[in-house]
Amino acid sequence: MNIELNGSEQINTSPANLWESVIDPVVLQRAIPGCISMTETGEGQYQMTLELKVAAVGGSFEGAVSLSEMNPPHSCIITVSGSGTLGTGGGNATVAITEGDDGNALISYQAQGEVSGLVAGVGQRILMGVAKHLARQFFTALKKEFAAA
Amino acid sequence: MTEQKYKFLSTPRRPVEDRRFVAGRGKFIADLDRPNMLHVAPLASHHAAAVINGIDASAALAMPGVVDVITGAELAAAVQPLMNGLNTPNVRRFPLAVDRVRYAGEWVCAVVAESRALAEDALEKIIVDATPQPFILDAEAALLETSAPVHPEHGSNLLLDRKFVWGPVDDDFDAAAHSLSFSVTWGRNSTVPIETFGVLAEWNGWDQMLDIWASIQMPKYADQIARSLDLPGNAIRVHYDVDVGGSYGVKRGIKHSVLVGYVARKLGCPVRLIEDRLENMRAGDAHGPERKFDITIAFDQDGTVRSMKMRALDNAGAYAGRAPFQLGKPISAIVGPYQINSVAYHALSVTTNKTVQEAVRGFGQAPTNYAIETAMDRVAKYLGMDRLALRQKNLIRKDQFPYLIPSGSYYDSGDYHAVIDKVLAAADYPAMLAERDRLRDAGMMAGIGIAACLEPSGGNSSFEPLLNQSNQTSTWMESCQVNIDALGKLTARIHTTSSGQGHETLVSTVLGEVMQIDPELIRITRPNSLESLPGNSPVGSRMAIMLGGAAARAGEKLKAKIMAIAAHRLGVAIDQLRYEGGDVLAHDGRRFTWDEMVELAHRQYHNLPDGMDPGLASFDIMQVPTGDALPVDDKVQMYPCYSFEFHLLLVSFDPIIGRPDIHSYVIGHDCGTVINPAIVSGMTYGGIAHGIGAALFEEFAYDTNGQLLTQSFLDYLMPSSHEVPAIQIVKHCTPSPHTVFGQKGSGESGYLGAPAAVSAAINDAVSGLGIHFEKLPIRMSAISDAIAAKTS
Repeated sequence: MNIELNGSEQINTSPANLWESVIDPVVLQRAIPGCISMTETGEGQYQMTLELKVAAVGGSFEGAVSLSEMNPPHSCIITVSGSGTLGTGGGNATVAITEGDDGNALISYQAQGEVSGLVAGVGQRILMGVAKHLARQFFTALKKEFAAA
Repeated sequence: MTEQKYKFLSTPRRPVEDRRFVAGRGKFIADLDRPNMLHVAPLASHHAAAVINGIDASAALAMPGVVDVITGAELAAAVQPLMNGLNTPNVRRFPLAVDRVRYAGEWVCAVVAESRALAEDALEKIIVDATPQPFILDAEAALLETSAPVHPEHGSNLLLDRKFVWGPVDDDFDAAAHSLSFSVTWGRNSTVPIETFGVLAEWNGWDQMLDIWASIQMPKYADQIARSLDLPGNAIRVHYDVDVGGSYGVKRGIKHSVLVGYVARKLGCPVRLIEDRLENMRAGDAHGPERKFDITIAFDQDGTVRSMKMRALDNAGAYAGRAPFQLGKPISAIVGPYQINSVAYHALSVTTNKTVQEAVRGFGQAPTNYAIETAMDRVAKYLGMDRLALRQKNLIRKDQFPYLIPSGSYYDSGDYHAVIDKVLAAADYPAMLAERDRLRDAGMMAGIGIAACLEPSGGNSSFEPLLNQSNQTSTWMESCQVNIDALGKLTARIHTTSSGQGHETLVSTVLGEVMQIDPELIRITRPNSLESLPGNSPVGSRMAIMLGGAAARAGEKLKAKIMAIAAHRLGVAIDQLRYEGGDVLAHDGRRFTWDEMVELAHRQYHNLPDGMDPGLASFDIMQVPTGDALPVDDKVQMYPCYSFEFHLLLVSFDPIIGRPDIHSYVIGHDCGTVINPAIVSGMTYGGIAHGIGAALFEEFAYDTNGQLLTQSFLDYLMPSSHEVPAIQIVKHCTPSPHTVFGQKGSGESGYLGAPAAVSAAINDAVSGLGIHFEKLPIRMSAISDAIAAKTS
């Protein structure tokens, strides 16, 4: 099934700081829900392991993440693909960072993906909700990074 | 009443099996535990179609408690492909996918571990390198030459393409005043047993014996396992003394059993596989017919239906399974209960990238009944004729039996008009009509559903030779053994598992009736397959006829021996003797008691008639009544007995919400002589609930990527006590001339007509808007959307 997710969030830091964070595997591992490991395998290339639970099914997910069309600290495209016991999936997100009137960063994203396998069958009616929930968790954690700093 | 001539038959007796089930003392596969038992969990394909490039199980194998990972490649090198029953040698199927996967959920490999939980954990560590391939889901699209074959080696998606013409179809169409055409589709659904399939296998190398316990309802099960594992038939010992938690066709389990049998032999340990619900729903043997009908029907102005052309296209899923043959059974009742002079039938079965279709209650008869009954409603509407009057005009009359239908089967007996009259009286039909009109006046959509249909029962599997000429099957025998022990008690053996049909009750009641002994005192055992006489398990509503028949005949053989012993002992001719409650009475008043008879037979050989063997045992291997010939000219007698049912119900729903509410439901049921009334009523109640599910809720639905969307009970909706109304059963008895007591089958009752009847009620409710619902299930969203489109 196909998933689309759009939104924007304000983060209490400068666009430059935010950019450094979102390409830092250590920060990403802390912020991505269920992320067990995140290793950089090359310029803008990451290997990621997730443990997720959707509806009645839970499992691990091995994925590759790549950043392209990088225009620091303004925009990039994030492409994700992977598979696991829950199913297979892939998608991409266009991310743009702008500076707000108060100097803080405003991050906006437009993402689309497709998932198949068990997660698509069992979780279809809640998958959109889960995707939104995971996105919210990610941004909450990201905001916390800068609240602490 | 005919019932009165029986002492135990047809009397309200509690089924023997109920005691242990009510007390929670059934013995199911999950209750069995063997020392050092290993557990299997299969890995399911995420893709509807893909080529498997490689499987990396190293991380899984390194986990504690994981013993082995079996791939399709390993299995295919070690076992024979599963039987498919058709001449399609290139549609090969193994328990695990070999080289490519053909549906989402197909088993790619299997983990063997010390517990099921460990096996499931290990599944997550297996990396399958697969390249997705084009896939096809729609049966009509699968027929196109441009569509990729699910099995490239087979060359196309066609599994079966047979055209039959029975009688003067063209002449009847030419002579008829009118004809009309329509299409209807039966959605893919199931029977959804509470217990999923489970199997436990244990190999003993010193005995060269594979012991199997399985929750099966499967003809020739042991034979198929032996063939696939290349073992002699007498190296497979299937234990029939397990309880099966529901089936109605879906507890086949051949692929599970071949897999587990192979692993048990390879590792030398007991191995068990019990499907979880998701495995059952997407890759078990759960899926039933998914069938599109294109029908043209020819009829006269007075409502006489002359002829029918039916094209039935069935979506078999990824492998041959039993789906093609489910197009065959309905040939045995292809005109329903009606006098239709000729029929052209085009049966097509195609592969698609969906889960494999296997057998479901009625073996394809319920969809065909739905199509025929829809045709009757369409004809009535076309002519502006009352639906009931049209049916009454075309129904076979009581004085026409035995009635030969165009496809070669004789219907044995029936009185359809009498059953309908009883139902109309019991339901107060005029009041039902008035209530429908009152509901309509109050702003509700309201409709009455009517359906009449037959339940063919007790047959050979004659659809196999009919659809596949290389198959020469002309028997589908069943057996029973009876022994009277040295203390005078009866024990009967039956040679199959039961999934709720009440076979112990059946045999003890029948034997009790024949021997005039309280059925409560008769013990029923289920030996293993090596200690069994030949049989074909409970399929096709056959056991009352065939197992009941074999038990009665075995009892009669024992009785004949008892009479011969008595005649010899008392020195009188057998015709001077009367059997009474186990004792034998002579015309002069002398009584030869049961106890004396037992003593003679077990200990006093010198007092037995010359040449008579000692002991008191008998057995019977019964041939199917009327089922003695192979098909000739595409015609064959398929079933000896035809039960009749007539459904009548009132439905209403709010035009905006569209949620059907069934107000009243009356069914008239004639299955000949009833052996146990509670069991027959239970079948009928459950069958109607099942049919309401098929009509309104249950469907294995796929998304456009080939993913099964309805694989948990959150999405695969089943009727509950909220949706199933109180049901009134109106009984009628027309005995069959072909069975020992006049009994007919009833295991599919209710289900065979309820989907047609519920569909008819919904369609009656919306008929004023010019809406026809042409696909089952008719979901509430479809109802409200269709009404909104017409009225906005």
